[in-house]
Amino acid sequence: MLMDRYSLLQKIGIYIGIFIFLLFVLLPFIEMFRVSLRPLDHLMTADFTWWSNDFSFQAYRDMWVTVPLLGRYILNSIFIATAVTIMTMVVVVPAAYSYARLDFPFKSLSLGLFLAVNMFTGAVLLIPLYRVMRTLGLLNSYWAMIIPGVAFLIPTGIWLLRSYLEKIPKELEEAAYVDGASRMYTLRRVVLPLAVPGLIVVATSVFIGAYAQQFLFAITFNNQRELQPLPAGLFEFIGYQDVTWNQMMAAALTGVLPVMLFFLLLQKYLVAGLTAGAVKE
Amino acid sequence: MATLDLSHITKSFGTAQVLRDIDLAIKDKEFVVFVGPSGCGKSTLLRIVAGLEEATSGKIFIDGRDVSREPPVQRGIAMVFQSYALYPHLTVYENIAFPLRVQRLAEAEVRQKVTKAADILQLTDKLDLKPGQLSGGQRQRVAIGRSIVRNPKVFLFDEPLSNLDAALRGDMRVELSQLHGSLNATMIYVTHDQVEAMTMADRIVVLNAGKVEQFGTPMELYHHPATKFVAGFIGQPNMNLIPSTVKGTGSDGLTVELSGGHVMTIPVETKGVSAGAKVEVGIRPENVELGRGMDVKINVLERLGGVSITYGTLAGTRFCASLPGDAAIREGETIGLTMNPRDAHVFDAAGKVLRRTMAPALVA
Repeated sequence: MLMDRYSLLQKIGIYIGIFIFLLFVLLPFIEMFRVSLRPLDHLMTADFTWWSNDFSFQAYRDMWVTVPLLGRYILNSIFIATAVTIMTMVVVVPAAYSYARLDFPFKSLSLGLFLAVNMFTGAVLLIPLYRVMRTLGLLNSYWAMIIPGVAFLIPTGIWLLRSYLEKIPKELEEAAYVDGASRMYTLRRVVLPLAVPGLIVVATSVFIGAYAQQFLFAITFNNQRELQPLPAGLFEFIGYQDVTWNQMMAAALTGVLPVMLFFLLLQKYLVAGLTAGAVKE
Repeated sequence: MATLDLSHITKSFGTAQVLRDIDLAIKDKEFVVFVGPSGCGKSTLLRIVAGLEEATSGKIFIDGRDVSREPPVQRGIAMVFQSYALYPHLTVYENIAFPLRVQRLAEAEVRQKVTKAADILQLTDKLDLKPGQLSGGQRQRVAIGRSIVRNPKVFLFDEPLSNLDAALRGDMRVELSQLHGSLNATMIYVTHDQVEAMTMADRIVVLNAGKVEQFGTPMELYHHPATKFVAGFIGQPNMNLIPSTVKGTGSDGLTVELSGGHVMTIPVETKGVSAGAKVEVGIRPENVELGRGMDVKINVLERLGGVSITYGTLAGTRFCASLPGDAAIREGETIGLTMNPRDAHVFDAAGKVLRRTMAPALVA
């Protein structure tokens, strides 16, 4: 379309903007990668150089020796985030549908409360949460990291998915109702298939949220080494004598890699889901 | 067999009363059209019949059985929505099969019924497509297909043709009428288009502000509109309504003086009106011809070929006339028009008609 056309100057401006933004976001990763390649003594002594002949992938081999449970930590991270995502979605889908379609007492009040809960970060509630976990006897288990994760991610999930479900034409459900379909049948056969892009967006944001927040819950509610997720496990690179920074950076990058690949594959749906407003007939 | 009776239906949304005491008896196999301006409550009434909306009070009977509290599928109705409401992720086949899947019918039976419906609606070669790949008319047919597979007693249509272009609308009108003939079912059809109402209906319900203005056959509504509203709504172009004064009454009808000074005696029942009363005389554009009597100034002239429609004023009142295609008239000039008083309608101050005594016999 004509209105989508930009002049050369506008294009240059846009690209400069994108470049600055990406630089901000990606510079830490680039620095992580550079650090992971440098020998440790080099790190402590040498002046800043962009590239040197001493660079190698040695740290990527050594890290498994320094921290023998590293593989376990990475799998724990993925496991916890996946479990949080599945449990959150199981709760969020029916809840979001109810908020999108049904009428019940205190509907907007409870929806507002969900938003209010989101304003507290997990950190504020750590002490009370710790007591809850202790009372329930869940400390030092996977549950200690999964349950708070689910609890904190449900509100955002409901808000995101509700607005998506509201865009599905109501007449489709009315037609199904006239044809004798129950609410659950309609949800399963009509609403959810149409909401797939929205479901992927919500699941992705929940997964990323779960991945990011697990550090806090892991270091407070769990001290069993075998159950720790990667962010907590990275502490083991801090020794009594020295910190093997290069290996720590290598481990961090390795841990993020599988997740990043997964999302690259999903990207197609993500973009479609974030931009798809109306459901076409 | 499927009769539909509505008994004292009212509906309020909060304080707004949308439907007031609707009482209708619809016969078996009848094609009834609900027509009225937007906001008159016709769609709400249809949704109440469908079971999508609950009436505030009143009862609905299908075949004499009270279905007011039953869900749509138990009422034995099927509905075609204005937006078609096709499931975009399912094929045409699965869209049509949807009500049968809900009933968990065996695959062979589903196939047989869907094939039959597709055959009736000429969709056989489209069964594997998704709704997005179909034209508007084809989507409309799929929606109808989905409604007929279940063999409902009553079909409900909610402005089904309003999303189609004019040419296709004409074709679909004919197709729907034929479908009504071949299915032998009771059909209720909601529209705001009086042409659809006139052409398709066995009987028309004219709704205005939540009330039934009149319920009758198309020609009954045309020749004997019960109120000024019905008179203005039925017929194209709209009926002219001329403020007039009663000069006298007699056995041959009511003598009135139209604004502009033209006097005529119209054969209507004169009960309840006397000399000096203010009335409105209704004159259909197609009932006037060039002559002497009413002086009309033409503002706009539309030559359609067969007829010429003129829009003008008669003593300050808007006046439309439908004249022969090649009538020797021009925009801006004042012409003389005459008419047979038998064709005129008279409405009293409350908008009620004085029944015509010499109207043509009604054709079926």
